[in-house]
Amino acid sequence: MIRAALLSGITAIAFGLLYQVSGWTLVLAGLIGMIAWWVQAPLAHLSGATLLGDFVGAFLVGALAEVAAKVRQEPAIMFVVPAIIVFVPGELAYKSMVAFLQNRFMAGLEAGLTAALAAGAIAIGLALATALVRPLLRSRPKERE
Amino acid sequence: MANDCAPSLVPRVLRVIADAGSALLASGAEVARVEDTMQRLAQAYGVQAVEVVVLPTALFVNAPEGTVMRRIQRRSVNLAVVAAINQLSRDVSASPLPLPDVEARLDAARRTHRYRPGTDGLFAALAAAALSQLFGAPWLDAIPAAVAGGLTAWVRQQLKVTGLANSVSDMIAAMVAVLPALVVAMVGKAGAGTVLVSGIMVLTPGLLITTAVRDGIQGDLLSSAARMLEALISAGAIAAGASLPLYLYLALGGHLR
Repeated sequence: MIRAALLSGITAIAFGLLYQVSGWTLVLAGLIGMIAWWVQAPLAHLSGATLLGDFVGAFLVGALAEVAAKVRQEPAIMFVVPAIIVFVPGELAYKSMVAFLQNRFMAGLEAGLTAALAAGAIAIGLALATALVRPLLRSRPKERE
Repeated sequence: MANDCAPSLVPRVLRVIADAGSALLASGAEVARVEDTMQRLAQAYGVQAVEVVVLPTALFVNAPEGTVMRRIQRRSVNLAVVAAINQLSRDVSASPLPLPDVEARLDAARRTHRYRPGTDGLFAALAAAALSQLFGAPWLDAIPAAVAGGLTAWVRQQLKVTGLANSVSDMIAAMVAVLPALVVAMVGKAGAGTVLVSGIMVLTPGLLITTAVRDGIQGDLLSSAARMLEALISAGAIAAGASLPLYLYLALGGHLR
């Protein structure tokens, strides 16, 4: 599990490099990718909760990215974009594609629909994190002023 | 802090603001951030009553002294530009720099590249190798996955220069991405699927999905819908590109395990 979390972090850093992110921002993006994977990995073992992991992972990525953005004074997408890639349901999309190519339409639909729902879970996770965490972070400095 | 801008300078300031906005938008920043940055720059230079409209493919800055428009045609993922202009806008808000300095810094920011273009393939190879391990492939499969990822990024980089439409170059890059996986399948090893997925993930429109969601939350529905559509088109192009060699392979009697 720790190995998987580390790999998730490495993936986030590699994608960050690909998108021209650098320095501490890159390190933080890697950390966010690592933590998000580490927390959501055990959820895959719950029965019937196939999409919960994606949702929790994406939520964590979004929430941690907002915090990191606040601390580093940088746009949150610098952290979200590299860290979210590991949750993209590429394998399901591939399964669906191969099934359609082999004329196994029911299997293709099943995998494709699961992939679409997983993408939806990720989108909702990200959206909720942004919508909840950003106002919370923003209200605090105002009180101090 | 903002003393009023001399009227003769306003058109120049508007141009700077529009350039900053279009660079941000073309590099993948959210609409809210683009609008916010443009407003902040305008305020810093004391240009009053500025109205900013940012659409996914164009933006407008309007002041009583004039209007500047910019059309955004080519978009790419370069978060270094977003970071550089974010920094510039914060510096300007703290203390307005002289206009020529800002123009120079803006010009430099728009061409920011943290890493040389040739390194793309290397980073993509690392990404694909790590992904293949994350998907539970055996150690040795990291090598074909890395080849697939690196090759994909390299092909896309080469195609970018030719001026092909983004979706077409995605499609061609996806075709190439499949080849190392097919070699693995032909040798008769299991796990060709993992190699294929790892290679193709390099093309994932992750930025588009992220900004589409964030634009939607912010209420910039037009931009959210446009980016969602762009992500869907990109995903469709990738699937179509990857299907072709796969289909040929299967039709010629190949097996995927």
